[in-house]
Amino acid sequence: MRNKQSKIGKIAFWIIVSVMFIYLVFPFYWAINSSFKTEFQLMMTPATFLPLDPVTHRLSFSLINYQGVFKNPDFMRGIKNSALVACSVTLICLVVGSFAAFALGKLKFRGKKASLYLILSMTMFPQISVLTGLYALMNQFHVNPMLSMIFSYMIFTLPFTIWVMTSFFKGIPNSLFEAAKVDGATSFQSFRIILIPLAIPAMVTTGLLAFIAAWNEYLFALTFTSIDTTARTVPVVMAMFSGTISRQEPFGEIMAASIVVTIPLLILIYFFQRRLIEGLTAGAVKG
Amino acid sequence: MQNHILQKKEQKLAILLLFPSFLILLLVAVYPLFTVFQTSITNKTFASSSQISYIGLDNYTKLLALKIVELDPVFDEEGNPEINELTGKRVYENPTKVLPRKPNRYKEISQFDIFGHHFVFAGTDPDFILSVKDTVFFTLLSVFFETIFGMAIALIMVQNFPGRGGLRVAMLVPWAIPTAVSSRMWEWMFASTRVGIINVIGQFLRWTNGQFSFLTTPSTQLLSIIVIDIWKTTPFMALLLMAGLQTIPPSIYEAAEIDGCSAFHRFWKITLPLVKNTLVVALIFRTLDSLRVFDLFQIVFGQKRYSMSSFSYYQLINNKAMGYSSASSVLIFIIILLFIVLYSRISGGIGDEK
Repeated sequence: MRNKQSKIGKIAFWIIVSVMFIYLVFPFYWAINSSFKTEFQLMMTPATFLPLDPVTHRLSFSLINYQGVFKNPDFMRGIKNSALVACSVTLICLVVGSFAAFALGKLKFRGKKASLYLILSMTMFPQISVLTGLYALMNQFHVNPMLSMIFSYMIFTLPFTIWVMTSFFKGIPNSLFEAAKVDGATSFQSFRIILIPLAIPAMVTTGLLAFIAAWNEYLFALTFTSIDTTARTVPVVMAMFSGTISRQEPFGEIMAASIVVTIPLLILIYFFQRRLIEGLTAGAVKG
Repeated sequence: MQNHILQKKEQKLAILLLFPSFLILLLVAVYPLFTVFQTSITNKTFASSSQISYIGLDNYTKLLALKIVELDPVFDEEGNPEINELTGKRVYENPTKVLPRKPNRYKEISQFDIFGHHFVFAGTDPDFILSVKDTVFFTLLSVFFETIFGMAIALIMVQNFPGRGGLRVAMLVPWAIPTAVSSRMWEWMFASTRVGIINVIGQFLRWTNGQFSFLTTPSTQLLSIIVIDIWKTTPFMALLLMAGLQTIPPSIYEAAEIDGCSAFHRFWKITLPLVKNTLVVALIFRTLDSLRVFDLFQIVFGQKRYSMSSFSYYQLINNKAMGYSSASSVLIFIIILLFIVLYSRISGGIGDEK
């Protein structure tokens, strides 16, 4: 009896797991499927689950969309711009953020609690509320769009980086730090020699999160590149995609471009999944 | 004495180390926020040479002014109420006749009946009022479903089963890809003929005739993008809840099982109270994130339907109305603040365990 019940339970469990898996993955499957179809195949009704030849109904994959995407100057420039912006944001964030996090996590000073609360409240800052102000500021001083993006992305990446790194630094035992002091190291020396090497895992985590956030950002990117379109990043290019092959809305190419954008992220996720999850949840569980 | 000097040194170092971060945040967040507040009480327009003047709260009254006016029925020559032949309903006077025109013209948002009287609900900027309504509706519904699905996924993911690693990667992908990309992917799936998979399935299940345009029909527009948003953000919710669930010691469950607690009882009496803090934090994150939704609305609807953020964006970029856009930003800021206060009231103070 009990055995039977557990068997039913097991089947139900696997059904739920499969439904979940399909739900999460199906849009990607559909994008991959569509990316291999020619414009004619895309217009077949009903849509087919594999790229089929319209006449013979045999499998027929086409790479024409991918060729289009890689020949698309806007898209290629977008990738370059995004990489440049996201890498700069990550780098600045890690350097500046780990300084601040060290002070907040390991030093004793007046105004520490207030600073911590300020940083925490900044992590919830709605970006839209500074859009007009930032736009005016960047125009007033003629800051180029790339730099504007790099600086404005600090609004959401920096507080988060500081917050996570601070809780990490706090977790490092003080004894290590004091031993170095006894040996005559200054605070900054012990930060550089002892804490930084220990902090590399945490930096990888927060760096990845900052990178992904900067890579995906759309609102500021769209606003700051509204005049200088050569500075557009991938999300903006994706939103305004105009094809090199198709004349109407080029969904085949859009799907191919989506896959091209997703693959590097997939690789990152595969190798760093544990770190990403740790970093993402660090704020929520401890905070 | 020595100690005192050390302390002073530490204080100095701390200030030095914090300085760059605070400088950046001051420059990109605090100062612009201040200018937004300031601009919101002016009639400033972008890239124009016209004189900027302070107009007080005019921008705000234009955004928020609402009015409800009763409409009189229309009578024909014989004095009988006129009936619309198509709908079989009474005809009422045109709202534009009764709605005030000065200083700003009121435009109809909707009409409704109470106790046999017919009313028109109008505002001076229906687009903004609708954007608030749509955004709040979008937020409530999508956060609600995300929480339920997220909890279900989290409860499954903390079990031990083969293939869990693969599922975890699958979960991270929707979260990681740019919303711009996922919006386009779903837009294609929602295509208005049977080239779109959702219409194919819809026809197969006899929900639609295979020609339904989900993204342009007003009644399904919001629901469609809620589906997209749920797909995109449920994984994040699930991950947060998973982390919370993992902090619960298994021994509690074992004890409960020995005591003969049912699975439902265990969830209600043990799991839920113990993940409450994580749940509240996750809810706050998601609600705030959802209230400022921009990408999805802007990409899928453009100027056909606004979220609060996309309204503000279009006022700035298309209309160059800096003052007006700023005022709407300030209102968004206030609405988000209200939600934070609401949550912290309900949950009895966030982070009180700190």
